[in-house]
Amino acid sequence: MQGQATQIIHAYKQAPWRVQRQWVGIFLLLVIGVAMIAALYLDVTARTAVTGREIQEMRVQITTIQRETADLETRLADLTSTAAMERRAVALGYRPVQPGELDYVAVPGFVKPEPAILLAAKDVSPQTDTLPAEYTQSLLEWLEDRVKFGGLR
Amino acid sequence: MKQQYAIRSLIVVAGLAVAVVAVIVQIIRIQTSEQAAVFLSQGDRYAGEFQMFYPERGEIYDRNGHLLAGNRTVYEVGVSLREMASPEAMAAALSANLGLTYDEIYKQLTQSPETWEYVVIQDYVPVDAVDKLKKLVEQLDNADDPRLSGLAFKPHLQRSYPENALASNVLGFVTRDGRGYFGIEEKYNDLLAGNPVQIWVPRDPNKATEIPRVPNGTSLVLTINRDLQAKVESILDEALSEYGAQNGTIIVTDPRNGEILAMAATPRMDLNNYGNYFSLYDNGSQYNRAIGTTYEPGSVLKVLTMAAALDAGTVRPETTFIDTGAIEVGGITIQNWNRDAWGEQNMTGCLQHSLNVCLAWISSQMGSQSFYGYMDRFGLGHPTGVDLSGEAPGRLKRPGDGDWYPVDLGTNAFGQGIAVTPLQLLTAASAIANEGRMATPHVLYSMLRDGHQYNVPSQYAGSPISAETANTLNEMLAVSLEQESSMALLPGYRLAGKTGTAQIPTDYGYDGFHTNVSFVGWGPVDDPQFMVYIWMEQPSTSIWASETASPVFSKVVEQTVILLNIPPDVVRSQVTK
Repeated sequence: MQGQATQIIHAYKQAPWRVQRQWVGIFLLLVIGVAMIAALYLDVTARTAVTGREIQEMRVQITTIQRETADLETRLADLTSTAAMERRAVALGYRPVQPGELDYVAVPGFVKPEPAILLAAKDVSPQTDTLPAEYTQSLLEWLEDRVKFGGLR
Repeated sequence: MKQQYAIRSLIVVAGLAVAVVAVIVQIIRIQTSEQAAVFLSQGDRYAGEFQMFYPERGEIYDRNGHLLAGNRTVYEVGVSLREMASPEAMAAALSANLGLTYDEIYKQLTQSPETWEYVVIQDYVPVDAVDKLKKLVEQLDNADDPRLSGLAFKPHLQRSYPENALASNVLGFVTRDGRGYFGIEEKYNDLLAGNPVQIWVPRDPNKATEIPRVPNGTSLVLTINRDLQAKVESILDEALSEYGAQNGTIIVTDPRNGEILAMAATPRMDLNNYGNYFSLYDNGSQYNRAIGTTYEPGSVLKVLTMAAALDAGTVRPETTFIDTGAIEVGGITIQNWNRDAWGEQNMTGCLQHSLNVCLAWISSQMGSQSFYGYMDRFGLGHPTGVDLSGEAPGRLKRPGDGDWYPVDLGTNAFGQGIAVTPLQLLTAASAIANEGRMATPHVLYSMLRDGHQYNVPSQYAGSPISAETANTLNEMLAVSLEQESSMALLPGYRLAGKTGTAQIPTDYGYDGFHTNVSFVGWGPVDDPQFMVYIWMEQPSTSIWASETASPVFSKVVEQTVILLNIPPDVVRSQVTK
């Protein structure tokens, strides 16, 4: 009985098709693993490329918007310049006030306002934080980073 | 049979293995060859480019937030020669919209060096012209007509001045190379221009790098009141026309802190056409005569002489002087403006009648050391430190200088033989209006950067006289104006001031026919809130300041009190009570 079992095991182990199947299995496993990593890598790099391109386009948009804002401010100033406003006032029937035509009213406690914050002190430069590493790292760099510093964040 | 196949298989495998090894060897050889480094560097060259990021030049506002200097979009119009389909059509379209000749453009398009891929036809093209070209391109594109293929428009900013010539002498201008000239634009060029940053920008989107912030240039808020500036310029232009004067200057300041509220000078130029500069000015000192041109001020300087004498205790308001019409100083006889003797006068009378003899006597009584010491402390002969480019220091001769003579002690006392800028004398006189303290004149009110406003504190330039002296002289000058029934007066407001009619020095002595007329004044006397300086060169309708500069002062004050909301004295006294 024991002899028969040993013979079966021996025959099984020695079967060439079993050995070949094992090798094929290992090879396929490796191929699938590599394919998965490649697909993941391709996906990440593709998304990085798209995001990078979007960043480049947004950078151009920011520059354009800043330029247009400056241009519009200047155009608005053209429309409200002293000469333009005077022309409009005259056209509307207004005339400069004469000293005798002014009435001053004493208001107790009134303090003449000083020119304080005179305008919207704008900051047209984008206040962006540093680009996250996800947008600039390759998969290999990300893996290296993980190996160096350990663990997932 | 099996063995035969095995041998063949081995041969095939060996052959493939050799081929694979050969490929690998070749790959390694290419990667490590000398040429590889060359190819790599060539590849790197096209991997990206260094881009210079120029910050937007800071804007300039008046004290109420009105834009005085901004930035406007203009275009560089160019043609990509490789894409160009029809140079004839391109030249025709561009010449019709850019103001260039057809031949000029056609030559650029067809005779450019072969290595050129892009040619700039014109830069700083206004939006209107570019819009017309863009419409034309769009129409042709819609019709699948390629005749304007390759036409490119690159937008960028150019300095623009919405108020054109208003305050041009204060603002200065910026040329196309981005550098500021004169006034604020030159003085604060570094602040306004910001710092350009050069950055390597990769073309590979995988290597998107962060472009560091390039902060815009600092925006500036000036102490100038735009509306007052416009009124003052208008008054100056009318006055020059009415009195036949060649040029003129009017300055309005706040004596309490040195803020310049308006500064008008002639000639002015449209800052959007700064190419006119050379046709308007012979030299840079003429750009802003209020700070760049010196002249002998004449009798307006008497207020400083009197201030010095009162402060030194040489005279008191009630001190009497018997005017005989002449006095000898340094061996030279000095006479009054009308060569008359005015008899017994107190110090207010000396100022009211502008008596040269009296003031020469006063400076002689003070002595040169004391007199010049005071003039020095008033800042004569030194730049005021105003934050505008191109200020002249003036000239105050002193004993010991090669060109100083003893008679100068007498003539300097009434403003002859001494060279000042209008702003210099105004600053000196501000000590009288501001209880003995002079404030450094300035036009910068605040700076705007990164969303924050930084107000610039006023700086005081010393106290040449005591507050008591200042108040005494303040009253004397107000009384002298009132007793003179001066044309400088304005109903409802008590004002102090002094005229100055000065002969003009030439290489052959003083010009006997022309004068410079000036007026320095301030108000309200009990609480001075504004100071005004007038200077007109060579008026032809009258040579006297009392008939020319005085009425101009009154007009300026009339507008100043309206625009600064300063009520008449009666109303102010009610509010104070």
